[in-house]
Amino acid sequence: MENLKSKKLIGYYGFPRPSVLGPVRERFGYNLELVDLDVALEAPDSRIVQNTTCRIIANIIDNAIEYSKRLVAVVADVGEGKCDRGRYAALILREMGFNVIESRFPPEEFENRPLVYSTGRGSLADRIDSIMETVIRPYDSVVSARNCKPTHGFWGVPPSDFRILDIFPDTTHIYGWTRCVEAGRPGDLQLEYFVDEDVPTVFFTQSFCAKQDMAHYLAEKHDGLFVDCHRRVNDSILSKVEAFIKLA
Amino acid sequence: MIQTEKKLKLADCGSTWTKILDVESDSLEIITTRELVGRDLPPFDIATGHSAKKRCAKFKNELLALAEGALSLVDEEDFSIVDVGGRDIKFIRFKGRKVKKIDWNLACGATTGATIELLTDYYGIDPHLLKPVDTWINVTCGVFGMERVLESVSKGESPEKSVAEFIHGLVRNVFDFTQRPSEIYLSGGFCCNRCFIDSMARYSKVIPLGRTVLIEGLRGETAQLK
Repeated sequence: MENLKSKKLIGYYGFPRPSVLGPVRERFGYNLELVDLDVALEAPDSRIVQNTTCRIIANIIDNAIEYSKRLVAVVADVGEGKCDRGRYAALILREMGFNVIESRFPPEEFENRPLVYSTGRGSLADRIDSIMETVIRPYDSVVSARNCKPTHGFWGVPPSDFRILDIFPDTTHIYGWTRCVEAGRPGDLQLEYFVDEDVPTVFFTQSFCAKQDMAHYLAEKHDGLFVDCHRRVNDSILSKVEAFIKLA
Repeated sequence: MIQTEKKLKLADCGSTWTKILDVESDSLEIITTRELVGRDLPPFDIATGHSAKKRCAKFKNELLALAEGALSLVDEEDFSIVDVGGRDIKFIRFKGRKVKKIDWNLACGATTGATIELLTDYYGIDPHLLKPVDTWINVTCGVFGMERVLESVSKGESPEKSVAEFIHGLVRNVFDFTQRPSEIYLSGGFCCNRCFIDSMARYSKVIPLGRTVLIEGLRGETAQLK
């Protein structure tokens, strides 16, 4: 956090194309730290967006404002891999004077990276963190896979509050947008839609996110559990997930 | 932590109502959770519910308590149960007496039971005397539903009919939330609300199990304490 306050930064959100992010880094210097603006960084509430805006989008705006003096650029994913609100956030930030560089990830540039973390064993939070790290540092093929048979599934985006992930067993597979990121295929709707049959899966979205529609539909289809959360998770949400993991 | 008189006490401490069972005498006490908060009670031996965590020696997850309580009260192989509470709605569908589907409606879409109590208190309505109505209002959540009731009353509709429409709207939510079953077991305070039961019967056969299903789900834990 201290680093973020004292050095120049390149902000980004969503999954920018490597062919857009690379030149930005080249232009401003590879020594500049990259900061994922989607993440809850404890920035003050700027009140630019409504209270009923998806927390991830609010994070983007609030973080950008908090670090405005450090950000030399914001690389904004405004394509199908993100959402309309991501596109509007780019417009708002540009209006506010940020140097916004838009990125749209075309299907022709989709990759087929191995699903090391999505199908691996270990702390769910750590594996999701590792997947999101691949947006800026794709791991090479020598990363060892520790595949396991899934006992449970987590479908969705990285939550704004990671505490919900601590409940899941190490044998939880990752699906949805997060898996798309690991595969290098943001916006691949077929991959985002995929879950393994008969694996009890929690379909998670932030509240007020368009992905709620898909999460709810898939939860009904697969007898999974639909969970949405606004801002911080509360005891009720944790209890709900805990019960599903024990009963399903 | 176990009570000194060794009388096992089980409790379901919901957001608005608390049910306390003395196991030895099998006597049930129902108090408002507001009253529970004000009382200086020794901790319960085993408890469930939103307000129970800091008031018991052993806590059991509400949905787990509902599942075990339902299995202890219902002999069927395949059945569904819904617990409609003040703050939330819990749903379990069993197939072959194994959990097939669970859901727990929190925050948005919930807080409807408590809203009915607020509305009936405010308008001075006896909820037991409410008659079911054909029409309904959209109860997206307790707050949105309350706004609709206030609007309806301000336009000249009677508070009784407006609140009954709210209950009908809640029933439709419950019916959809439970995946539109042809028959469903009902748990919770709405087992005592004739307007709710009769409104629900328009959509599904309802079998009320009363207010102590979650407490029944705690009984299995008592053997470990004795």
